[in-house]
Amino acid sequence: MSERITVDARGMACPGPITKLVRAYRKASPGALIEVLATDPGFKPDVEAWAKRTGNEIVELAEENGVIRAVIRVTGKK
Amino acid sequence: MERILVLGAGTGGLVAANLLASHGYPVTLIEKRETHLFQPGMLWIAFQGHNPSRYTRPVKELVRPGVELVHGEVAGIDLGDRLVRLADGRTFTYTTLIIALGAHLDYDATPGHRELVERYGDFYSGASAAEKMWSHLRELTSGRLVIAAADPLYKCPPAPHKAAFLAAYTLKRMGRLGSVEVHLALPFLHEYPSEVVARIVAPKLEDDGVRVSTLFTVESIDVREGKIYSLEGEELDFSLAAVIPAHRGPMIRVEPGEVLDEDGFIKVDKYRLNVEGYDDAYAIGDSSNAPTSKTGVTAHLGAEVVVDRIMGYDSRFNGRTNCPIVADGTASFVISSYGHPPVPVKFTRFKRMLEDLFIASYWSSLKYPERWAPIFRAYFNATDPRVISGGW
Repeated sequence: MSERITVDARGMACPGPITKLVRAYRKASPGALIEVLATDPGFKPDVEAWAKRTGNEIVELAEENGVIRAVIRVTGKK
Repeated sequence: MERILVLGAGTGGLVAANLLASHGYPVTLIEKRETHLFQPGMLWIAFQGHNPSRYTRPVKELVRPGVELVHGEVAGIDLGDRLVRLADGRTFTYTTLIIALGAHLDYDATPGHRELVERYGDFYSGASAAEKMWSHLRELTSGRLVIAAADPLYKCPPAPHKAAFLAAYTLKRMGRLGSVEVHLALPFLHEYPSEVVARIVAPKLEDDGVRVSTLFTVESIDVREGKIYSLEGEELDFSLAAVIPAHRGPMIRVEPGEVLDEDGFIKVDKYRLNVEGYDDAYAIGDSSNAPTSKTGVTAHLGAEVVVDRIMGYDSRFNGRTNCPIVADGTASFVISSYGHPPVPVKFTRFKRMLEDLFIASYWSSLKYPERWAPIFRAYFNATDPRVISGGW
């Protein structure tokens, strides 16, 4: 099983969720999964842009009851 | 016997202590430094060569009669026993505590960072580091000046932008902008964390000759090779560089430890500013985890709220920011509050005059906050983000 990090950024306004994601990414090993929970509607386009620019893979991106759940596989780190 | 203890003589601590003294409360203020530094002044020292004496004052000249000033370093706080311990072993008890100890700059989080600051100085580590930066900038005739950050969370969100604007202006006056590239490397998706602000700042940066990289979070620095590497996998060569260090909460021991968040900031009720679970202890300014920008303005406004609450009023902090973005002859402000994202504020000469007035009023507003309160209140009400939501 690969390492899995969960980041709870619910209730945080932009750019809080991305800041928390960047910090988790710093600590994550290649191949790890980072799960981010956020309620800020701006998080969805932001996480997509972030993943595209940094070469990381979004495994899952869904919204349920106002909570956005993004699961990212760390593929951008050597 | 009543004793209000204020920890830290930065902006928030001085405003709180002086206001309380003006209302006749017995206040003790504990501070480890002899000198107070107006922190935005470091930008003017580092990138425009201002004399540091403009931005520093002895702490003892900034406290009013009625404030007992204690020179010492806080080592620990026991919230349950209402006890504060200093590094030299002295202890103080309190009836009400105000924690205003600021943020800790963590140079060790980034390999090569200490060496970079020792070699070139910066605009975060103190007046002498800023002077050192200036001594290198004035000698820079070619190559690249990089302004960057080690983490997206740092005090004064527009500080790197101001650094780039002021440096570009200085180099232009010296006739070297062009042979020297000013490169702003930001850890955000856009030119500013808020896209609304980014849309205003980006064209201004371009006009003023500043190159920008986004999503560049400094991971390590190789001073000898002159290279900065980012977490996102990119690198930048530099001839001169200033990197904003990662921030964390004050380096003190706090009991119970649950009141600290994962980065060591003190958890507070974001409106009342009391430490989570304690009615007799508050945290203001950079040391708290209140979800707003870490700036002198939020520390000042937070101090006013806490003093009101100590006096029995039900004042609430609204998270208001007013972060100036200073450019050549003009300025804009990042204006937001809890529940209201930043509004579009254009760069104008009038706003630059306002910012210069705020800077000029600084020492007086620390010592006599009640004299400035009606003036600031009028400004903050007139520029409430709900009032100017369409832009200013």
